[in-house]
Amino acid sequence: MSALPVSVVTGFLGSGKTTLLSRLLRDPALARTAVIVNEFGEVGLDHLLVEASDEEVVLLEGGCLCCKVRGDLVRTAGHLLARRARGDAAFDRIVVETTGLADPAPILQALMTDREIAHALRLESVIATVDCAAGDATLDAHPASVKQAALADRIVLTKTDLADSSALAERLRRLNPSAPQLVALHGKVDARRLFDGSPYDRPLYNSESHAESGVTTFCLRRSAPLHAVTLSLFLQVLAEHCGAKLLRLKGLVDVVESPGRPALIHGVQHVFHPPAWLDAWPDDDRSTRIVVIAQGLEAGWLQDLIEVLDDEVTACSIS
Amino acid sequence: MSSHKTARVARVLSGALRVWGVSASVELDSEGLVMRTPSGATLKITPAVPNGWLVLRDACTLGTHAGLPGLLRSLREELAPEAAGGRLIIGAQSLL
Repeated sequence: MSALPVSVVTGFLGSGKTTLLSRLLRDPALARTAVIVNEFGEVGLDHLLVEASDEEVVLLEGGCLCCKVRGDLVRTAGHLLARRARGDAAFDRIVVETTGLADPAPILQALMTDREIAHALRLESVIATVDCAAGDATLDAHPASVKQAALADRIVLTKTDLADSSALAERLRRLNPSAPQLVALHGKVDARRLFDGSPYDRPLYNSESHAESGVTTFCLRRSAPLHAVTLSLFLQVLAEHCGAKLLRLKGLVDVVESPGRPALIHGVQHVFHPPAWLDAWPDDDRSTRIVVIAQGLEAGWLQDLIEVLDDEVTACSIS
Repeated sequence: MSSHKTARVARVLSGALRVWGVSASVELDSEGLVMRTPSGATLKITPAVPNGWLVLRDACTLGTHAGLPGLLRSLREELAPEAAGGRLIIGAQSLL
């Protein structure tokens, strides 16, 4: 059975997540979508507002999705998958709506790693809504909103009828240059542009470095292939020493032991997918390209780290 | 080890110190690298034979490491024991 796509809709309080979802769920392209929403507080307002989700909405009780009810998220997703397997629920996609205060990273990690659900799911997209009226102030005042936008695969600008979006859009481009931006007026946006593949389709592979709101985005490049052991050690060092500073990493790696078949890698903080081996390079560029979105990490340091590790692995291979 | 490669290791160690929030310095010397902390402690890091690194504090050997990952772990435990150390987790979910 093929893995079911799962997307995460995040965004700060009042940024229009529920309005967006409410409209999206009326789109025929998303007709067979199960939604997991979360409430923050006594009343599940978000739940009440998601009109088109019917019985497929499962409300997580008890607080912020990221820090308190990850187990509930996993259990809820597991229940949904079990109902689908029994034929009690018909859906082809799951969308998780986070709370406005949520750090999406632990949610992604739970979806990627939990043994009950991870094998049945495929992370499709992380969508962040940003309110054009209050977005600048929110990014200034709330680190969680910066992280939400930085981790996104797609950014949806909302409330563009209330404020000029151009400066905020540029700021978001510096914060997350690889995320396409879409405009949603009263939640209206083309669903196919939000859910059109995997987050690994289009990482930005240019050499330009960006810095915004304490988040840096850069691309590590290497023309010579890396040993597989070097790649493994590099990821281990990142996970061990950088932890939460590494927000997201996506890349194509030319591996010595796998000529012509690059490794696709993707991680959120210290949690990584197993590398996937492509049948061929997607374009004429055969160099290793690793896009890093981080807080407080320097491109030069990571580039030197790769070189030193590969020098050591090469020396061990020769001696 | 060539001076070029030793200088690159020095940059990696300097960068690691910044990541851990430690304000020590890293200098090259004739035998390898010297790390000086604000408290006055001096760590000497020299290439081991045939591969790896030897770490000395004054005349005492703190450890021998087969490669950079072990060296970094040892230095973090010595200089920044409060810095959070993580571990790599490979998930169960396929990328494609």
